[in-house]
Amino acid sequence: MSAEQTQDHGARESTIVARDLRKTYGEFQAVKGVDFEVYRGECFGFLGPNGAGKTSTMRMIYGAAVPTGGELRVAGLDVTRYERNVKRRIGVVPQENNLDDDLEVMENLLVYGRYFDLPKKLILQRAEELLDFVQLTDKAGSEVEQLSGGMKRRLLIARALINAPEIVVLDEPTTGLDPQARHLVWERLRELAKEGTTLILTTHYMEEAEQLCDRLVIMEGGRIISQGSPEQLIEEHVSPQVLEFRSRDGSLEKLREIAEAEADAVERSGESLLAYTSDADELLEKVRRSGVEAENTVYRQAGLEDVFLRLTGRSLTD
Amino acid sequence: MNAPLRLPSPRGTFRVWQRNMTIFRKYWKTILFPNFVEPLLFLAALGLGLGAFIREGGVQGMTYVQFIAPGLLASNAMFAASFESTFNTFVKLKIDRIYDAIVTTPVNAEDVVAGEYLWAGTRAALYGTGFLAVLVVLGFTLSPEAPLISSFWALLIPPMLLVIGVMFSVMGTLFTSLIQRIDLYAYYFTLIVTPLFLFSGIFFPVDNFPAPAPQIAWFTPLYHAVNVCRELAAGPSPAVLVDIAWIVVFTLILALLPIRFMRRRLIS
Repeated sequence: MSAEQTQDHGARESTIVARDLRKTYGEFQAVKGVDFEVYRGECFGFLGPNGAGKTSTMRMIYGAAVPTGGELRVAGLDVTRYERNVKRRIGVVPQENNLDDDLEVMENLLVYGRYFDLPKKLILQRAEELLDFVQLTDKAGSEVEQLSGGMKRRLLIARALINAPEIVVLDEPTTGLDPQARHLVWERLRELAKEGTTLILTTHYMEEAEQLCDRLVIMEGGRIISQGSPEQLIEEHVSPQVLEFRSRDGSLEKLREIAEAEADAVERSGESLLAYTSDADELLEKVRRSGVEAENTVYRQAGLEDVFLRLTGRSLTD
Repeated sequence: MNAPLRLPSPRGTFRVWQRNMTIFRKYWKTILFPNFVEPLLFLAALGLGLGAFIREGGVQGMTYVQFIAPGLLASNAMFAASFESTFNTFVKLKIDRIYDAIVTTPVNAEDVVAGEYLWAGTRAALYGTGFLAVLVVLGFTLSPEAPLISSFWALLIPPMLLVIGVMFSVMGTLFTSLIQRIDLYAYYFTLIVTPLFLFSGIFFPVDNFPAPAPQIAWFTPLYHAVNVCRELAAGPSPAVLVDIAWIVVFTLILALLPIRFMRRRLIS
């Protein structure tokens, strides 16, 4: 089965393969034919604004949506034909909390493990290890309602791991968490990746993608508009240095003229003007010499946010 | 979209049933009590209160309490399964999103629905068994010469309540699978459950009414459930087999619709 169905790409083995994958809801085309491949053991990200088709793609991977067209293989299996077998081998961390509120923390893991037909002894042993892994051991007997948002998210991660999945799908794993809780989740995810689990995640946060993803795709309007490693994407689409100008009303337009003449690329994002260049010092000097007023100018390295802005003409968080 | 009909797997069905049983075992005392008291209130108010005005001879050769007690067993199963498959299922479907979590495991949407059917039936049988035990004891204490339950065939009432519970669960789940807002259950209970409760022969025999009342009653589910319980309580005639067959056929035919509709709601 697996030898025949998983495709070999050089040294790396694909565990998820999508070919011309499409999803339509009535008249609305949520996913308009995407191709991607996820290698075993990597962390693969889907980036894009709301409505880009990320969640629909994820839902097709974990069996909550049926593809309208194209091909999708997960863990070497066709998702439409081997629904149950695919689900047996993956773990899912949903966007919205759907823990079982009628059950305590430990009971949530026990009941969930039974859905996979695991023997009770094994579930309890794994549950104990997993609660330790997500640092919830002292909450084992607590009601779910008493957990904080961050704890609930960690419990969802533990729950997704109860079947020792080879692939874990995470839909916006840190949305709504405070920075501390977010870092704790990232740390756990990195730990998982280190152990060889394949991670698939969607996110709004560039920082999250840069921190976690080996490779990622950027989606917009149901299509993949670019893909590669974070470094590749940055190198490919934007100049390495960015100057962010902030200014009052009229002067931003004047700045734009100057920047457009001198910088490699210029983007307007809300009340600021972003100029991409390989020599920020020189550009800044030229702006100063022009005499146009510019306050609070910020210099930074280009990141994924800039790639996104460049590709879609808008910022990711709106 | 004409997706192939998927039949539930016994394994997945059991897992969903087991999830509900795990929770029930934690809270059964608080859950059981109201369902248990309610039929007793009806029995006291109508059986003893109204029954006092019903003269010698009673109904169909039974005292009025004897007449209504088995019917209340059937309606109790209907209420238990109806609440389970309406409000409780709605909360799990749309508010707590329990089913969304389950269908990402090897348990499929069709297993969820079948597991809920079976659970509602189990709950109806559990309530009914407790209530039946009370009727037996109460009957022999109050009037040993005319007990409320007078036949050993009554031992078949609990399994029949399970089947009756599944039937009403299928109906409730069908309604649940079609609605988006929880307020709409007022329609289900006012227009379906309450009329069934009042006009299915629990409080007066419908068979003696002029046409088409008995004919209409024959096409409704609780009428047959009441017949089955009443026959088993007093010793059945072969006619009970028709009622049982009606219940089984009706349930099997209707059971596939909610499975289809719920799958469409859970899997896009």
